[in-house]
Amino acid sequence: MKMIGALLVMTASTFAGWIYSTLLKKRLTLLNALIQSFQWLETEIGYASTPLVEAFTRISGRTQEDVQLIFSNFVEALQDPAGLTADEAWQHCIKQNQETLPLKAEDWALLFDFGRTLGTTDREHQVTAIRQTLERLQLQTTGATEERKKNERLYRYLGVAGGALVVLIFY
Amino acid sequence: MGFAEQVLPVLAPKIRLALDQLRRIVPGKWAKLEEIRLRAEQPLQVEIGQSFLVTGAGELTADPEQALKVGGADLLRTLQLIGGNSLYTLEEELKEGFITLVGGHRVGLAGECLVARGTLLRLKRVTSLNVRIARELKGIGGVLLPFLAQEGRPLRTMIISPPQAGKTTLLRDLIRSFSNGEGLSAPAKVGLVDERGEVAGCYQGVPQLDVGIRTDVLTGCPKREGVFLLLRSMGPQLIATDELGRPGDLDLIEEILNTGVGFITTAHAWDIKDLTRRPSLQHLWVQGLVERVVVLSRRLGPGTLEGVWDGRTHEPLLAQVQRLEVTR
Repeated sequence: MKMIGALLVMTASTFAGWIYSTLLKKRLTLLNALIQSFQWLETEIGYASTPLVEAFTRISGRTQEDVQLIFSNFVEALQDPAGLTADEAWQHCIKQNQETLPLKAEDWALLFDFGRTLGTTDREHQVTAIRQTLERLQLQTTGATEERKKNERLYRYLGVAGGALVVLIFY
Repeated sequence: MGFAEQVLPVLAPKIRLALDQLRRIVPGKWAKLEEIRLRAEQPLQVEIGQSFLVTGAGELTADPEQALKVGGADLLRTLQLIGGNSLYTLEEELKEGFITLVGGHRVGLAGECLVARGTLLRLKRVTSLNVRIARELKGIGGVLLPFLAQEGRPLRTMIISPPQAGKTTLLRDLIRSFSNGEGLSAPAKVGLVDERGEVAGCYQGVPQLDVGIRTDVLTGCPKREGVFLLLRSMGPQLIATDELGRPGDLDLIEEILNTGVGFITTAHAWDIKDLTRRPSLQHLWVQGLVERVVVLSRRLGPGTLEGVWDGRTHEPLLAQVQRLEVTR
């Protein structure tokens, strides 16, 4: 009986550690996908002057699935009969996904900022805003990479070690 | 799809709601709607034969106190909705001062301008917005067609009229008739230079209004360059342009004359008398450069035909005042 309990505790904590470590990886993947998508957006808006709905639809068709979710939610919100502005639609779609996607508060904050001028200024300013967002995303990516390097194994070990500790104490 | 479905979705919700009510309450008036005017901090206004104000419940009124007040935010939201939330795609339009909607309806803009070295760069803050409903009245020019072609050749025609008397609507229908060969011995290849985008109502380059099956449209292009581009590239038998008005536009007629193709265009003048008083137009009239002059007015309502004149003999060919009607 004790044996089974110990095994359960070990599995659970190892699993928890593993989840934490994959979150780091997922955040990094998502940040990288966002960077690529924003680069595409820069081309769509800067060179082709594509309207937002078309640009975001096109990009969401070829990007990573989490970004796809954000982008397609944005397109839906833009086409809402309530007549939302681009900013409102953007805030709406970010809030929709904030809970489920593995980004940190600071990542979301920079995405929120991006929405402020979305669609309301001329092409030049749109491109500037996208580039700024890209720079900030890149900064976040650098941070996320380091964090992952430093903590990925740590979380896994902690998971195993934490489980072992609990087992040892109660055994 | 009626104009309501094309125009209402781009208006700010508050205004959309009021106008949608108006449509329900007085459908007869709504069907005759000419313009919707939004001005920052001013009452919502519509043109239906005359100017009315609209209340929040969609009733027509003359009392500014009762009328729905349009806020600056409503204007901004409307502009963003018109631009598909992508104002950067409207840079050219914000410079020109108008935007064409699906269906060919035109939104005129005014407000605060951004200027560099004396040239207008674009509107930076829009405070006035005017939605003009585009009307297609197919067949309205039918009664005129026999006067505007000779042995299958389209004649050099000018439509003159005061504002809001239906000259663009008539021009569009005449172009369509020539292009489709309706009511004529033979159709003509038409080259339309739609500088202001009002005739064909192009949305993303595609005509939203029927300008016929043999019409090549050049939209947003300065008239002069446009005419010669079409002459070079498309071999039209009839050149059509929207309203002449800028200096140099009238010289264009003389140049087209040398190419031997027909043309049809419009100009702003009240009547033949007024035409002969305007220095630039007078020249065309006196020299007989235009073969037919069609005069419109609002005497019996928009689309009143005052008559057709022979531009060379200066004799009236059709002098009976009548309201143009769809005869198809």
